[in-house]
Amino acid sequence: MPLPEGVYCLMAEFETPTALVHAAHEARKAGYRRMDCYTPYPVEEAAEAIGFHRDEVSLVCLIGGLLGLAAMFGLETWIAVWAFPLNIAGRPYFSWPAFCVPAYEWTILWAGLSACFGMLALNGLPKPYHPVFNAPNFRNGATSDKFFLCLEATDPKFDVAGSRSFLEAQSPLSVVEVEY
Amino acid sequence: MGNTSFSKGLPSTLNAPPFVDNWRRKALIAGVVFAVIAVVLAFLGQGQDAQHLGWIHFWRGWLDGYVACFGFCFGGMALLMVQHLSGGKWGLIVRRPLEAMCRTWPMIVLMFLPVAWVGATDGRLYIWAQYSNWADALKKGLIDNDQAHAIRWKQPMLNVHNYWWFSLACLAILSFYSILLNKWSLQRDADPEPNVAYWRTKFENLSGFGVVLFAILLFGLVIYWVMSIDPTWYSTIYGFQYLVGEAFMVLPLAILTLIGLSKAEPIRSTFRVIEQHDLGKLCFALVMLNIYFAFGAFLIIWSGNSPEEIPWYLDRIRGGWGVIATLDVIFHWLIPFSLLLSRDLKRIQSKLTVACCVMIFAGFWDLFWLIEPSYRDAARDLRLSWGILEYVAVPAALFCFWLVYYFWQLTRRPLIPTNDPHLAEILEHDYVHA
Repeated sequence: MPLPEGVYCLMAEFETPTALVHAAHEARKAGYRRMDCYTPYPVEEAAEAIGFHRDEVSLVCLIGGLLGLAAMFGLETWIAVWAFPLNIAGRPYFSWPAFCVPAYEWTILWAGLSACFGMLALNGLPKPYHPVFNAPNFRNGATSDKFFLCLEATDPKFDVAGSRSFLEAQSPLSVVEVEY
Repeated sequence: MGNTSFSKGLPSTLNAPPFVDNWRRKALIAGVVFAVIAVVLAFLGQGQDAQHLGWIHFWRGWLDGYVACFGFCFGGMALLMVQHLSGGKWGLIVRRPLEAMCRTWPMIVLMFLPVAWVGATDGRLYIWAQYSNWADALKKGLIDNDQAHAIRWKQPMLNVHNYWWFSLACLAILSFYSILLNKWSLQRDADPEPNVAYWRTKFENLSGFGVVLFAILLFGLVIYWVMSIDPTWYSTIYGFQYLVGEAFMVLPLAILTLIGLSKAEPIRSTFRVIEQHDLGKLCFALVMLNIYFAFGAFLIIWSGNSPEEIPWYLDRIRGGWGVIATLDVIFHWLIPFSLLLSRDLKRIQSKLTVACCVMIFAGFWDLFWLIEPSYRDAARDLRLSWGILEYVAVPAALFCFWLVYYFWQLTRRPLIPTNDPHLAEILEHDYVHA
């Protein structure tokens, strides 16, 4: 696969979360969709402003849990009833109450693992390279006290000159072009 | 703490309101009615089937009711000691009801005498007493090999002499504790100086040892009274199950008492929603602990693949007992768990009352499931007869008579202990600590 080249995004740097959220709102109103916010700590309003939507991790977790439940309950039933039936003092082979605890534990285990790996699969992590780190002001500020809004070049509305003037109208500290 | 100006003053009267006498009258009437029904049922049961189990069932029902009442009395004392050890506002508000419960010890001693006389001396409840001459009984085919073996080797412990001796010694020790706890509590209130550290240490020293002693004695008592009905079986968690089972019934009764008393002073202004919520949470913890022990014991025995132990559960599952066992899980865990999960429910008196009543009912239901299938005529065969109804009538009668005594004791002391640093806190308005 050839490496992508050219402009990855236009990045605007803001001093306060309020300014960032305001700019993100404006960008969404202006029709931008492929964009992202970067903040040193979680800012829920920013996620909302760029149109954060519910993801499918909870569904993956539910399916994983149910599979775990069925797998262990099935395994226990198979062992106790068909594979290795033991007649102990006339105890019934299919004693489902005694199967509950391992089945429950596998429900938890599978649900936890599917939530974890489902989350990674759906959000694209781990990501060893990301172009935003090419911007020096991002490297310095993104984890301490600055707030960033990126308009990505893949957005159909994106155009370097027009998007730059749009961002500059939001009174940022700076607007930089980020290369791949 | 350290708040000397109370937001609302101490209620003008600290004694139980007059309607407690009314409760006592009602409990007495109910007790008499149930007692009459129990006697009628015994005669009906006597004529019903070939085995003439009418009066036998009466005494089995008595054992059931006795174990429950013992739990209310000395289980209440155990919770009282726990409360002295843990401290806290919830402890202050339930202290006097718990003290009233454990002051019923003379009645518990009296109720024990028929159990021991009919059950052990006369041998009508315990086969190890009935067939202490195991070799003869085995030859006549009255008991099987397993039972003869168990009776033979457990004879040093399971004999009539030791049954009496051990039970009476335990009851004496526990009664002594009850007397001491109650006496000191009055002395503490009468003390002109608060002497907080002195009294706290004094109660803690008594209770710390007392809780451990109570647990050990209880283990022995339930082995003698209930587990030995079927001498072929034993379990090391049995005592724990009764320990939790008693708290499972005592705490709801204490909550019901407080809710009943909160219609009038002094409890109306001192039983705040926050303490009610705390007591509800403690109930919830007991519900979980109880199912943990009960299900854990089942799982360990069931999966342990030992043909000596599994039949104990099969006796209680097959032949119609499965219905009783399933309902036991529903009453004991499913309903109280689902109810007490809700935060609101624990804070609304009328709803918490329902949860508490279910818990007490479940306690009696569980005792029925533990006791009756231990007898060979009932194991794996739940026969609906007049005699089975004795498990409703006799425990209900004993419980009602016990309640009469309890309510009487409740009226004999102020309902709020006055010499306690937590008093200032429960006199504050609800929202202060919320």
